[in-house]
Amino acid sequence: MESCEHGNVPVREFHANGSRMVASEVEAKLDQGNIQEAEDALREGLSLNFEEARALLGKLEYQRGNVEGALRVFDGIDLQAAIQRLQPSLSEKPPVKKGRTRNESPSSVSQHAASLVFEAIYLKAKSLQKLGRFSEAANDCKSILDAVEKIFYLGIPDIQVDNKLQEIVSHAVELLPELWKQAGCYNEAVSAYRRALLSQWNLDNDCCARIQKSFVVFLLYSGVEASPPSLAVQIDGSYVPKNNLEEAILLLMILLKKNFLGKMKWDPSVMEHLTFALSICSQTSILAKQLEALMPGVYHRIDCWNSLALCYSAAGQNDCALNVLRKSLHKHERPDDLTSLLLAARICSEDPHLAAEGVNHAQKAINNAHGPNEHLKGVALRMLGLCLGKQAKVSSSDFERSHLQSKALESLVAAIRLEQNNSDLIFELAVQYAEHRNLPAALRSARHFFNKTGGSALKAWRLLALILSAQQRYSEAEVVTDAALDQTARWEQVPLLRLKTKLKISQSQPMDAIETYRSLLALVQAQKKSFGSLQISSKVEDDKLNEFDIWHGLANLYASLSHWKDAEICLQKARELKKYSAALMHTEGILFEGRGQNEEALRAAINAVLVEPNYVPCKIMMGALIQKMGPKYMAAARSSMTDALRIEPTNCRAWYYLGLLNKQDGRISDAADCFQAASMLEESDPIESFSSIT
Amino acid sequence: MSGGEEGGSESGEKIRSAKENLSLILPSLSTTTLLGNQEIYSQISRLLRQPNSGAGDNNLCRWLYDTFQSGVSELQLLVLSFVPIIAGVYLSRVAERKPQAGFEAVLLALYGHQTSSRAGQPVSVTLPDLSQGSVYHESKSPNKNNSSSTVAVVSPALEPHGTVRSTRRARIVGVALELFFAKIPHMPASSKIHFCEFCKIWAGQDGDMYMNFEEDVSGKELELKEKEKEKEKGEGRVPLPWELLQPVLRILGHCLLGTNHNDCELFGAASEACRCLFARSMHDVNPQAILPMRSLLRLSKPLLTNHLLPDPTDLPFSSVISL
Repeated sequence: MESCEHGNVPVREFHANGSRMVASEVEAKLDQGNIQEAEDALREGLSLNFEEARALLGKLEYQRGNVEGALRVFDGIDLQAAIQRLQPSLSEKPPVKKGRTRNESPSSVSQHAASLVFEAIYLKAKSLQKLGRFSEAANDCKSILDAVEKIFYLGIPDIQVDNKLQEIVSHAVELLPELWKQAGCYNEAVSAYRRALLSQWNLDNDCCARIQKSFVVFLLYSGVEASPPSLAVQIDGSYVPKNNLEEAILLLMILLKKNFLGKMKWDPSVMEHLTFALSICSQTSILAKQLEALMPGVYHRIDCWNSLALCYSAAGQNDCALNVLRKSLHKHERPDDLTSLLLAARICSEDPHLAAEGVNHAQKAINNAHGPNEHLKGVALRMLGLCLGKQAKVSSSDFERSHLQSKALESLVAAIRLEQNNSDLIFELAVQYAEHRNLPAALRSARHFFNKTGGSALKAWRLLALILSAQQRYSEAEVVTDAALDQTARWEQVPLLRLKTKLKISQSQPMDAIETYRSLLALVQAQKKSFGSLQISSKVEDDKLNEFDIWHGLANLYASLSHWKDAEICLQKARELKKYSAALMHTEGILFEGRGQNEEALRAAINAVLVEPNYVPCKIMMGALIQKMGPKYMAAARSSMTDALRIEPTNCRAWYYLGLLNKQDGRISDAADCFQAASMLEESDPIESFSSIT
Repeated sequence: MSGGEEGGSESGEKIRSAKENLSLILPSLSTTTLLGNQEIYSQISRLLRQPNSGAGDNNLCRWLYDTFQSGVSELQLLVLSFVPIIAGVYLSRVAERKPQAGFEAVLLALYGHQTSSRAGQPVSVTLPDLSQGSVYHESKSPNKNNSSSTVAVVSPALEPHGTVRSTRRARIVGVALELFFAKIPHMPASSKIHFCEFCKIWAGQDGDMYMNFEEDVSGKELELKEKEKEKEKGEGRVPLPWELLQPVLRILGHCLLGTNHNDCELFGAASEACRCLFARSMHDVNPQAILPMRSLLRLSKPLLTNHLLPDPTDLPFSSVISL
């Protein structure tokens, strides 16, 4: 059969019962509106009965694009009666099995009659669809399926069925849900889809895949919540989709699997629907698994890596994402891909030890942000600024650090010229200014961010409070913190309350601080109770950490008040939550020192440094204690102090003790410089480090 | 939605009184029906965009609040059709520090409705694992019950809120949008189009450079550059955390790929919103947003040329018509 596009079939012929007839003669009669004459001509010419002639006429009209005409012709046949007549003749079929000759099955005549009737009904439904009469079309189409189900009540047998009949049945199965959707009968559409997919229609793979995909689209995007498939069709121990998303994802995974097995031509839209569905559930790690399982060659390997990187990164697995990105950005692959460069830079900007690599990616991104991608130049500059700022944190020399910090600031300022309304960028600029100790500029940017986001971000409140605290405006910082507490839900108040305790301590209100610690503790314990039942391990760990911080903070507070006994109790509580902690050992040292046990204090400090080599407070304590041991140990004390300053150059206590050492050493002018640095830093010291926010 | 089981006369009474109260706000209201009425929709929309529309003493906000609280499901649907405009105007005005207690009351009513109907519980889905059989496929190892299924939270637990705390604002608006999505087949097209227009404003980013997404675009650049100059950049841009972006994505997915009877205007608006939000996700370098936005862009592209494809439900035409 040669099939052509609509309208390209100029010469038509009728074939039946071994005779043929040119259609033009019949067409002329139809054009004059003479259905009856056309029918007579056909019956005579091809020796047909009434129904056969009508079916052929209808088909002719339909092919000519005259759907109204086709409908008039089909309306002349009582199709429901024809269906009724079919049933006995076909249902005689099952007993026929033994000793049948191979050439012609006895049922083939009745199958032939059936396909004639079904084709007529199908074309009628299509005609109605084209005229926008969707419910009528759907009901006609449904009557085909009902009849087929009655006739082949055991499912359509694979071999014995007539090709033509199978073709029409498959088409009707596929058409029915579309018609119900067009009619706006969504519940009927869902049942039609399920009927299509769960009954035995002997559909070919492509047709079945098309229906599955169409159902997926309906489930994902129609917004109509389909009731789950009925329990009657469920098998014990099998997966039961309970809602649209689950059913859609199940079907999509099955479609992908069909593709692996070679049962279906690759359809890229399946992967896109799955991407959308799994992204909605925030399960991109499962999407990554599906991508990894794809046959090689489905996607270009670089496209696949880049999609994988997005999946991993969205799932919080940044190290995996970066590894894949490094492959795809290799010089032999696609080193200039802007999206990959930006993503790699962004991931690197979160880790000081990767920051140098990130600077490279960002620099390349800037170089490649041209043409249609020029709008991303500001983003690339922003990434560069973030990476440089992070790199400054681990730089080995003071000179390099300040150089990197200035360059970071420069990049961010350049970025904001291109991205004036990017509130995240405004925030990052504020943090960068703050770390650069340019507090007025930091405050300006922080306020700008706060206003633009309407206080919706917790970090805005915290940054404002920290900057104010660095300016020694404690009471204003407290006002901000209290307002923030008012604007946050209970479970998010932990960092704010912690800030508040520190503010109270800075304002020499230890009793208020203890009170705040109490409410903090109550909050964390309540949180533990309510989340504990959910067994979210990350939450449980968080709570443990929070509780530890509280006891540790309280211990420090009591120690500073010389309440040794209370401090000891809090310390013990903290120790139960975390055994080896440099911070705890530091507090122990303070307690020993406070009670005049310098040797024990020094031991604690040294232990702490062994646990955490870069723990600055213990380095300072070590230096200070060694210094007390006499001039003989001056060099050791000095090295400890300079070590502390290498790690944290803005630590005012380290500068102060270094000044003391210099003074003892008789280097008065050096000592004066150190004291000056200490006092300047103290004037701009926030109560928590600025980097604790991001 | 509740209210379906109420007696017809009672809900009829409520609808009547809602109409009476509305006629005090819209004196020109002459029409007999409240529901599915395009004229009322556009009049209320216009009022909602006026400068002081969201204030605490605003009559219309009061009416929307009372109408939603009536519990009659038809009236609730009517109120829901204004969610895009309320959310859109509300979020864009946050930075202007205008009093918006009226809008907040309506949004809180929707949030409270969701909270109580879900009893505050999270909405989660259990993701399938093909090693376990299902209605749609068989598995080689049918009794593998120990397969660890993944549970994904689609919408986290809801705490009751009496006021809009600034840090919960996005969540409260997000939940209102979730409710809008849940009833989206009943929403008028103009409401969806308004939603798409606000998406563009929220994105604060022009999306025209993605007009020919993933196609070779040599020669098209000139057009773009000229257009760029016309546009005001980024007024009304808002933070788009996941709790807001997720329902936005679902609604956009519907506008692009749902059953909207080939509404070209809606499709156009949704496509543009999609491009703008994709541009935004690129500017935020946010992979969680890039992935679904990119998929929507890719999926909506062939729809423009869909009518040229052969319809698989058409029977093949032939020059020989036989029995």
